[in-house]
Amino acid sequence: MKQNTIFQSAAIVAAGIILALVANAFASRDRKVSLVGTYPNALKVPAREVQVAPIATPVTQTVATTTQPATITVPPTATTSTQPTATAAIETVGLNPMVKTPAAPAPTTTTAPTPHAPLPTPTREFTAHPDKPYIEIAYNDVKALHDKNVLFLDARRTSVYEQGHIPGARTYSVWESDIDDKVNKLFAERNDQAAQNLPIVIYCSGGDCEDSHMLAQKLWGIQFNNVYVYKDGFPDWQQHGAPVHTGANP
Amino acid sequence: MKRYLTHPWLTIRVQLALGAIFVIAAIPKIADPPSFAHMIYNYRLVPASLINLSALVMPWVELLAGLALILGIWKRAARNLIGILLAIFIIAISINLFRDNAIDCGCFNVADRGKTHEQRIFDMKVDVVRDLGMLLMVGQLWWAGKREEQEL
Repeated sequence: MKQNTIFQSAAIVAAGIILALVANAFASRDRKVSLVGTYPNALKVPAREVQVAPIATPVTQTVATTTQPATITVPPTATTSTQPTATAAIETVGLNPMVKTPAAPAPTTTTAPTPHAPLPTPTREFTAHPDKPYIEIAYNDVKALHDKNVLFLDARRTSVYEQGHIPGARTYSVWESDIDDKVNKLFAERNDQAAQNLPIVIYCSGGDCEDSHMLAQKLWGIQFNNVYVYKDGFPDWQQHGAPVHTGANP
Repeated sequence: MKRYLTHPWLTIRVQLALGAIFVIAAIPKIADPPSFAHMIYNYRLVPASLINLSALVMPWVELLAGLALILGIWKRAARNLIGILLAIFIIAISINLFRDNAIDCGCFNVADRGKTHEQRIFDMKVDVVRDLGMLLMVGQLWWAGKREEQEL
C-alpha cells in the first residue's frame, strides 16, 4: 500500500513535469519562460525601502547630484546606420528639452493628461559609468533624456507594456523567455564601445519593482556602461502627466 | 467525536473542497508562468536556476493532485502531495514573515496588486492561517483513510 502510494505520487509529479514542459513549448512568446533563469539576487532579501524623496527631486543611488548643465557625452565615432536611437542622441548632444526629434512616436496614440507641465531640468551629466551597472535617476533626468530620444527599455511584462508605456520605449521583460534574444539583438545594434556608452533608461513599475535593475545588470554584463534606472518607474511618469503610448509598438 | 470527524459524509466534502481549491489555485499560474516565476523569485528562497522550473511544474502538480482528489483517483498520493505542498507554502511564507520581506504569496493570483508593505505582511499572516486550515483538511483525509484501512 505504502509503495503503491509512493509510486502514484511520483507518477503525478512526472505527469506534471511532462505537461509543464509541453505547455511551455507551445506557449506564446510572452507566456513562455526559459527553463533555467538567471536572477543574480534570487536568494538576497532586499532591504526595505523608506520613501523620503518628494516627487521631482532627483534621486541617485551612488552618485551625488550636480547642478551643472547636463549633456549627453557621446564618443565622436558612435554613428552607425543601424542604431536609430544612438544616432538621434548623437545628433542632439547638449540637452535642450524643447527640441523634439523626428523619431517621436505618432501623436494619435499618445496621451498627455497635463499638457502644461513645467519643463524638466536635468541634474547631472549622463556619462558612462563602467564601474557600476546602473545609476538611479528621477523624473527630471528621465524626461530630459526622453526628450533627447535616448533609448528607453520597459522591463515590465509585455501585457502591461501594451496597456501603456513611455513613448518610444521597447518592451524588455526580464521574465519572458525571449529576453536574452532581445539583449543580444541590442548588443548587435550597438556593437562598438562608443555605442555601448550611449545612455539607456530602463524602467518598470517603481516601488519595490526590481525588474529594471535586473535588466540593467544584464546589460552591464555585456558592456553597456551607461544605463540609468528610472527609480519611481512608470507610475511616476504618469503622475507627472507625461505622454503615454499604448499598444504593442514603441 | 472521532466517528464524526472521520465520517464519510465529511470526508467526501473535504476531499472535494480541497481538490477544487487546488485546481482553482493552479489555473492562473498555468496561464501565466512568467508572473508566477516572479512570485517565486520574490520569496528569495529558491536558487535562480530552479525558479523557472518550479514556476512551470508546481502548478501542474497542484492541478493534477486537485483533480485526483475531486475524481477520487489515487486519493492517498494526491492528499500526500497536497500536504507536502501546503507545508512548503507555510514554511516559505513564515520565513519571509520572520525576515520582514513583504511579498504577494502568489497562491491564487499571480498579478502584482501594488499593495503596501503593511498590507502584504497582513495578507501573509492570513495566508499562513488559511494554509494551516487546509493542512487540517489534509489531516482529516489522512485520519479518515487510516480509519478506513482499519475497518477493512
